This record gives sequence, C-alpha cells and structure tokens, in this order.
Amino acid sequence: MGSALPPPPPPQWVVALNSPLPRPTKAASSIPDPPGFSSSRGKQRQQQQQPIAKKPEDNDALKLKKAWEIAIAPSKSIPMNAIMMYMSGNSLQIFSIMMVFMLFKGPIQGLFNTNAVFAKYETPTTHARLLGVKAVYVVMQLGLLALGIWKVNAMGLLPTTRSDWLAWETERLPLERASFAFS
Amino acid sequence: MNLLVDGMSHIERPITARAAQKLRQTPPQLHPAQLVSNMWLQSALLVAACISPAAAIFSDEVNHIDFHHALLGAPSPDSTFFLRPSAASNASLLYTISDRSILGAVNPRDGAVIWRQNLTRFGAGAGSAGFMRGSDGSNAVVSAAGQSVSSWSAQDGKLIWNKQLPGLAADLEILELEDPASKSAAKDALVLSGGEGAAVLRLLDGDSGATKWEYKDDSGDLPFQVSSSPTEVFYISLQSALLKGYKIKVTALDPVTGRQTRQTVLSSENEITGPESVLHVGSNIASPLIVWSDKAQKALKVNIIGTKPVMTLNIESTSQSTRELQKTDPAALEIKKISVHAPQKLTSLPHFLVHYKTAKGSWAEVYHVDLKTSTAKKAYELEFAAGQAVFATSNVHANVYFTRISELNTGVWSSASSEAVSVSRADGWAYDEPIHAVAEVIPKGKSVAVRAAVLREHGVWELIRNGESAWVRHEELIDAVAADWVDHGDQQHLAHELEVESHESLLGAYIHRVKRHLCDLEGFPEWVKELPRRVVGSVLSDEVTNLDSFGVSKTVVVATKSGRLYALNTGKQGAVEWHVQASETAPWDVKGIVIRPGKAIIYASDGSSVTVNTTSGTVTGRFDGQNRKFQTFTVLESNDVLGIQEDGSPASTFDVPGFLVTTSSDGRILGWTAQDNKTPAWEFVPPAGEKVIQAIGRPVHDPVASIGKVLGDRSVLYKYLNPNLALVTAVDEKKHTASFYLLDGVSGKVLYSTTQAGVDSAQPITSAISENWFAYSFFGDAVTESSAKGYQLVVSELYESPVVNDRGPLDAAGNYSSLHSNSGQLLPVPHVISQAFIINEPISHMAVTQTRQGITTRQLICTLPSTQSIVAIPRPVLDPRRPVDRDPTSAEAEEGLFRYSPFLEFDGKWFLTHARDVAGIQTVLSEPTLLESTSLIFAFGGDIFGTRATPSQAFDILGKNFSKLQLVLTVVALAFGVGFLAPHGP
Repeated sequence: MGSALPPPPPPQWVVALNSPLPRPTKAASSIPDPPGFSSSRGKQRQQQQQPIAKKPEDNDALKLKKAWEIAIAPSKSIPMNAIMMYMSGNSLQIFSIMMVFMLFKGPIQGLFNTNAVFAKYETPTTHARLLGVKAVYVVMQLGLLALGIWKVNAMGLLPTTRSDWLAWETERLPLERASFAFS
Repeated sequence: MNLLVDGMSHIERPITARAAQKLRQTPPQLHPAQLVSNMWLQSALLVAACISPAAAIFSDEVNHIDFHHALLGAPSPDSTFFLRPSAASNASLLYTISDRSILGAVNPRDGAVIWRQNLTRFGAGAGSAGFMRGSDGSNAVVSAAGQSVSSWSAQDGKLIWNKQLPGLAADLEILELEDPASKSAAKDALVLSGGEGAAVLRLLDGDSGATKWEYKDDSGDLPFQVSSSPTEVFYISLQSALLKGYKIKVTALDPVTGRQTRQTVLSSENEITGPESVLHVGSNIASPLIVWSDKAQKALKVNIIGTKPVMTLNIESTSQSTRELQKTDPAALEIKKISVHAPQKLTSLPHFLVHYKTAKGSWAEVYHVDLKTSTAKKAYELEFAAGQAVFATSNVHANVYFTRISELNTGVWSSASSEAVSVSRADGWAYDEPIHAVAEVIPKGKSVAVRAAVLREHGVWELIRNGESAWVRHEELIDAVAADWVDHGDQQHLAHELEVESHESLLGAYIHRVKRHLCDLEGFPEWVKELPRRVVGSVLSDEVTNLDSFGVSKTVVVATKSGRLYALNTGKQGAVEWHVQASETAPWDVKGIVIRPGKAIIYASDGSSVTVNTTSGTVTGRFDGQNRKFQTFTVLESNDVLGIQEDGSPASTFDVPGFLVTTSSDGRILGWTAQDNKTPAWEFVPPAGEKVIQAIGRPVHDPVASIGKVLGDRSVLYKYLNPNLALVTAVDEKKHTASFYLLDGVSGKVLYSTTQAGVDSAQPITSAISENWFAYSFFGDAVTESSAKGYQLVVSELYESPVVNDRGPLDAAGNYSSLHSNSGQLLPVPHVISQAFIINEPISHMAVTQTRQGITTRQLICTLPSTQSIVAIPRPVLDPRRPVDRDPTSAEAEEGLFRYSPFLEFDGKWFLTHARDVAGIQTVLSEPTLLESTSLIFAFGGDIFGTRATPSQAFDILGKNFSKLQLVLTVVALAFGVGFLAPHGP
C-alpha cells in the first residue's frame, strides 16, 4: 500500500538543532566567541536533566553524607571551647558564668532539636541509616556538655568534695552527759 | 623576737586517770630555728592584720557600746577634799584616798575619775588607813599609806617623789607655813609614823621628799596626830595614865629645826579611853583646837593646842525647837554622836561648829574663839532638824561657811551670823545615810553657790550641787565577787502561750492564737502613739537600729563582798538600776548566783540564800544556812540547785541522769553519779607533788556551727566535739612544772595531757576551753638551751583524726559512750595540734566570746593586769595550723592561714578596753545576744567594764553610715520624678 510511506527525513536545520555543536575546527576554536554568546547553554540544560534522571539510591547517599557533616560539626567546636574555658579561669565572674551558660545552652538545645536538625534528610529509606548519625550527633553534644561539666567542676560548683556535704553530717552525741560544778 | 617556735608535738594515747602520773609528754620546745628578718615579721603582721576579722572600736562607739566604772573604793572621810590642782586653775577637783589605798582625783562636774593611783604597789596594804593632804596653791598632793609617803602632781597624778619610811604612817599634815627661803611652791609635809617603840615625826621636803628634820619620841606614848599653827608644829600623843585612860601630851616643835620648845600634858584620863574618844584635832589654823567630851556627853572639853587651860563648854541646847522637844520627846535629844567642824586654813577666822547627832535628828552650835583671851564663846545655834544630816566646812578667804546637807535641804550658814546664806530644797534622797561631806562654797552676790560631795554608807558617793544630786558613784562595786546575767522573764508569758498552743488540736490552737492576737491589740493604741516618736528617733538617733530588743540591753546582777546586790544595765552604760543590802554577814562569801525568770537567787558559802526580784530589787525570800561549808552551787538539768561541799561531795543525792564533776579541797577531781553522794564514781589525782589550781569545763552554752573544718582543698578535718571535756591545770612548785590534763567528765579518762617545764607558779596561770580547742597561758623560764623565756600562750585544737575526710575510729556512728565498749563505740582520744606563742605580758583571766549559734568566729578574751586592759584575740590568729618556717601554700592561704610567727603582739585593734585603764578585773563574763554577730562582755572584780564584742564584725546590724533619711528622701524624690514625667491624659 502506498499509504505506508516512511516519513520524510528531517530538514538539515532540525538535525543541526538537535545535535550538539560540531567540534570547531582548530582554527575556528581560536576565534573568540562574540560578546553575549554562551557556548555552554546547551550543556547546562543537559546537566540539569541529569539529577532527575539519577537513581534514588544516589540521592540517599548524598543525604546521608550531608547528615554526617551536621553530626560531626559540634566536635569541631570542642577544642575552641576547651581553650576558651581554660583561658577564662575558675573564678566566678560574669564572663565566665556567661560562657559556661552558653556552653550548656548550645548542647542542650542541640539535643532537644536532634530530630528537627535531621528532618530534611529523613526519608523512609534513610530513616534506619540516620539513627547512627543521630547517635553520633548526640555523643558529640554530650561531649560538649562534658566540657561544660568539667568547667563547672573546676569552678567548684559541683558538690563533689566532703566539705560540700558537711552540713548534712551531724555531731556525734555522747550517751552520757557530765555537768561541771567546779569552784 | 627573732625566734621561730616549733609546733608542739601531740599524743594520742589513752590513759587512765590513775596512770596519769606515768604519762609525761615531751614539753613543747621553743627553740631558735631560724633567723627571720624584721621585714618578714612585719609583712607577716601586715597579713595578720588584713586577715584578722576583728575590727577596732571606733571613737564614736566609745561610751555608746561600752561603759566603764573606774572605781576607787569607799573614800576615807578624813582625806577627802576639794582642791584647785594648780595655782593657775579656777576649777577645783575632788581628791580622796579610799579604803583600798587608791588615790584619786574626781571631776566634780560629772564624777569622772581624772587620775588614780593604786598605793598597794608601794607596799600599802589594802584596808590600811591612808592619808592624803593637799594645799591650795601648791601643785602637789601628798599621800601616806603604810610605810610609803608619796607626792603626786595634783593635775595629772604623776609621781613627784616616793619615800619609804620604817614605821607605819599615823598621820600626815602639810606645813602651810610660809618659808621665805624656799622659792618653790611645793609645801613640806609632816609625817608621823609609829614604829617599834618610838614614834618619829619627820618633815619632808616638798620638792624632793628629803628629810629636813626628824623628831623622835621614844617615850612609848601612842602617836596620835600632828598639828600646826602659823608659828609652831605640834606633835600630839596619848600618854597612858596610871590607872586608866589617856592623857593628851602636846609637844611643841620649832618648824625650822624640829627641836622641842615645850611640852604640855592635859589631864584627860577620865574622859579619853582611846584615840577614838578625841573628837577633833585642828590643824593649819591660827588657833588649832583639841576637842573631846566627857563620858556623859554633857560637856565639851576644848583646848587650844599649845596652851595649858582646858575650857569646858556645857552641852545644852537653848534653841526654841530643842526646848519644845525637851518637853514632848526627851529621848529624841539623846546624843549619839558629836562631831566638830573647823576650817583648815591659816587665814580663816577661828570659828568652829559642833554637830550633835541624835537618833531622830541633829542640831549644831557655832563657837567663836577669842584669840586674845584664848576662850571659846557660843555664837549661835542651828535649830534641831529631824532626819540625818552632815556638815561640811568651807572657806572663802577668811570667812567660814558651814554647809548642812540633810534629807530636806542643803543650807549654808556663815560662821558670823545665824541667818542662812542659802537654802536649797533637796528632792529627798534615795540613798543611804550620810557619813561625811566636803563642800565648796562660791559667793554669788549676796547668796552663795554650793556643791558638796557626800559620802554615804555602803560606799555611795554623791555630789549635791545646790541641793540637786549631780552624780552618784557606787564605790562599793569595787568589791564585786560574783555576777550573772539576769533573765527578766519578759518572754515568759509568750513562751507559756506558745506552749499551750503546741499542745492543742489544730483548730483549738488556731482559735487560741486568734484570741491571743486580739488580746495583743490592747496595746495597739499605745503602739500607734509611740510610732511617730520611734520613727523620728530611728532617723535621728545615733544608732541606726535600736538594738535593745535584740538582747543587747541586759541587766547584770552583781554581788559584793559587803553583802550588797547591784543591778547594772548594760544598755544604759552600766547604770545602777537598783541596789539592796542583801546580807548582813560580812564578808559575804557568794558561791553561786542562780538566775530564774524574774528573780535571782544568791547562795553563800554557808548555804544561806537570798532571793531577789530582778526588776525591783526587793528581797523576796531568805533561807538561812545549815552551817555547812559549800564551795559552789550548780543548777542541775531538773532546775534544782545542788550545793557542793568543801570536800567535793554533793550535799545530797540528785535525781538527774548524768554525771557531776567537782573539785575537792585537797585538789582532786571527782566524778559523781546520781545515786551516790558519798563515794565518787571516779577520781582524778594529779601526780605526787602536783596541785590542782584550776579546773574548767566546756561552757554550758557553747554551740558549734560546723562539726568540721574545711581546708583549702575542700576536704574536711573533723572537730573533736565532746561536751564533757574538762581541762585541769596542776602545778608542781618544786619542779616548776605546770601540767594540763584534758579529762572526759563521764569516765574521768585523761584524753590528753601536756607538761610545761620551767613554769613560775607565782605568776598567773590561766586557761580557757571552748568548742574543740583550749588555750592556756603561763610564764615559762628557759630550762634548756633551746627553750624560750617569757609569757607564753599555748593553743591546742582537737580533731577526730589527723587524716582529712576521716571521722576517726567511730566513723559514721551517731553516738558514743565513755563507759560501755559494746559495738566499739567507746570514746576515742583526740588528735591534738598545738602551737605556742610568746606574749609580752601576763594573762590573769581568760574567757571566750559566746554567740547565739556559734557561727561567728570566737575571740579569746584575755585580762591583762599589767597594762590594765582586756584584749580579745581573734581565733584565726591563734590557729595552731599556721605554717611554720614557710609561706602558706595557696590552699592554706585560701583557708586563711598565714605564716606562723612566734611572737604574738597584741594588735591595738584587739583591745576591747582601747584607751581605758580597766584595773583589777577578776572575772569576765560573756553572754550571747539575739544578734548572732554580737556578744556581750561584762568584766568585774575591781573596776566594772562592759562592752559588745563583734568578732566577725557587726554583719547583721546596719552600719552607722546607713542613712535612713537619705533612703527616704531618695524614694520620695524618685516618686516625685516618676509622677512628674508620667504621661498625662488629655
């Protein structure tokens, strides 16, 4: 039948439009592009199309990587905090008290916000794997908290010595009493 | 001073009382260890001064928080006089010598002692009659007491010269004679001293005290008096007559050479039985008189000294009042006592007054002596006046004035006329019978101003200025033997009500409380009425808060040897609230004062007791003694009073659980149980040769705020706290040792003992114990090469264990027993840390400040007899843990320890008495107030001194720089500002 004719080949301009630019000749490539022309336009479009095209597994790995970064972040501030605490001395002053307060405020807030921090990386697939990340995050915050406790102890605010409990100890009483009648 | 003293070693050996003898601990050695530069010492002292919590007494607190009664003793009537201290001064001072041989100058304006000198240090025994004379125009007063004659600057009491005579002084007189050869103003003194067989009259130079001449009388007559007229010196002696009585022998001497010019013997043997029969011997007057009376007191015998004739003046009153009295009540005219008052001034008129005292009143006669005829004539008579009265003589130039001080009025008469120059009504006196008076009269136009110092019975010395009492001195307080704080029982009612409430049901208690509060509203109108005054007062007054309601104003009841009781209010500068003769037996040997709400019971050694209402001073009850000798009285837990007999045994068995510890007269310490008052449960006998001189127990009120001592590294050293601790001091006079034994009062076990070598037992040895420490002081001689010589103060602290954070063998046990060793709860021995300090003067008595809860640091209150002061040494200074030979570590510095220095110099800020001379203190009492910071101090025995001690500063009282007015004004200004700046509506 005459109706089953193959479609006519696309015109040259269509082919040229759809195909990437031919590699310019050596001589042509030395010619600078005119102002305002971007040769990468076509490439960009291709790259944008790539993630959409990626598999979900790759996406999760990326999320986890990001989550790990967040989990590890507090540990980076530990050395700085330690030096600051060491430098600020053990006396009870407004600055050292404020610093200690901040030191406690950060980790405690962080601990309470654990889930919120990792919420954007939470997907049904990453959920199980995020648990470990969260645990590390908590440990890091606890490390900061430990630093604070060390500082508070160094400042003498923790009842760790015998003298702190002296007020609760009672005088030993004699079973017999003597009264004195000396002249 | 550049010595370092090693800390004393300690022992930890349980020893029984009997075995104490065997136990000899190495005495603390004071050895020169290292030379310390002076700079070091200074810096150490500086640190000490910084750390020391005690603050000095500020000048505006003097006489506000403290008071001082500088006492002289009962003034001697013969030696009390007004005198201008120097020729240049206008005002005169009141001079006296007391029965305690204390010389004093008192300001007649306010009764303050300007200077005083104790003659006992010159060998005058207390109680011996002393003499004091002064002369207008010379700057000195002369005293004679015992064997010593001294001249003192009248202005400031500085010694000019002192001379020791072989015999006891019998009389003293100033020779008023003008000596043209002498340029100096000082006048010579005539001293009559009795001795072995011979009486010697000496004229001592006024400037140097050198003997100018002496007249010896070895006839064996009784040396009696010295007298002088413008031309002659008279020595008057009593020559015993053949049968009985005495003849008066008058020997006239030349004042320049001291040679005898003539001698007269007056036949007075029928009338005179002894020195007391002579009524008067005049001196320093143109015509000195000897006056005595016959035995029936019907006639006066008067002789002008140096003449032979004896005038007889019949005693018969011719006045209207006596004649009337003769008819109605003749008994009222029976003469009890005659006294003669004559001026003692060369220039004065030769007039004298005779004062007749009867049981109901007195009258007086004034006589004039005619120098030409040598006769005395009655000039006028003062009407009989009921009640007790005394006369005093004063001179204004040649005029003589007689001042009569009676219950009703003070009258002044000139010797020339019977018209009274001035009469001022008295407001009636509240004090005792007058004995003697001296007066000073100053003419003011036609009238005169008069002030008279009246000596009354019981050592009351009062100045009456124009009929009004200006001041009163209670000189008998110098004999104080016992004192205690009074509980007025004001809180008694409230305490009872609260007691009732605590026993009722909840609703019942609530209703009761509402009712009580409604009842309290009764006082509301008065409270409102008082409010403005209180508000104004609190803003304007010196003290920011009136502390009287905080127990700062307390009453002390003081018992004296003479049987009197005084109540002194510490809140009113020690003012005498009341005084009462509580006992007639003298000396009153008070052995205990028991305080009950609203009353005080005073026990004497014979077992008698007197109960006194502490608010009014009335004696409410007496209990006669049982003829037993008691050494002390104690209040048992059941509130019963138990007497302890001389041998140390309780007078009866007592029904109270516990043990009683006593001392026996033979120097043993005895422990008694309730059931048996015959044989002691235990006894402590010091080793042979040793004598117990002092035994003290921990005070009954001795609260401990913390049971441990927190060290710099925040570990704890646990204090060894045992309320049954007693500290016994025993001395061995032969071996020159002093031993201190720390006993457990229940078992008698010696917990610690130490022996000091080279101790001078004649010097004061005293001790104090409180909380977990004790201190003692003594004079130690250098016995070995390395020991120190000087007064030493040793402090020992007791701890449960030498290891920190360790409570010793009992560990966490809540109880322990001294007797039963079941479950291993037997009383352990303490760990003792001691340290010795060299001090620069002896300590005669020690006490410890007491506060309500014991949170405040304690001070060791030491009485220093040589500087007549009381010093309160802060405990941190006396810490035996102060590092020796090195600087404190940072932990030690944090604890407040600073480098030990062997010489403890009393910081000027520690002196509670600051600039005052507080003499003769025997005992210091301390009493807590409702303010934790403040402890009341009361010292007695000689002077009376009271103050408030704030060992950790007055942390619970608003300071003086706190201005309530400023605060109120600030609030008002702020309110006004806010009102002014507030947005105002349309």
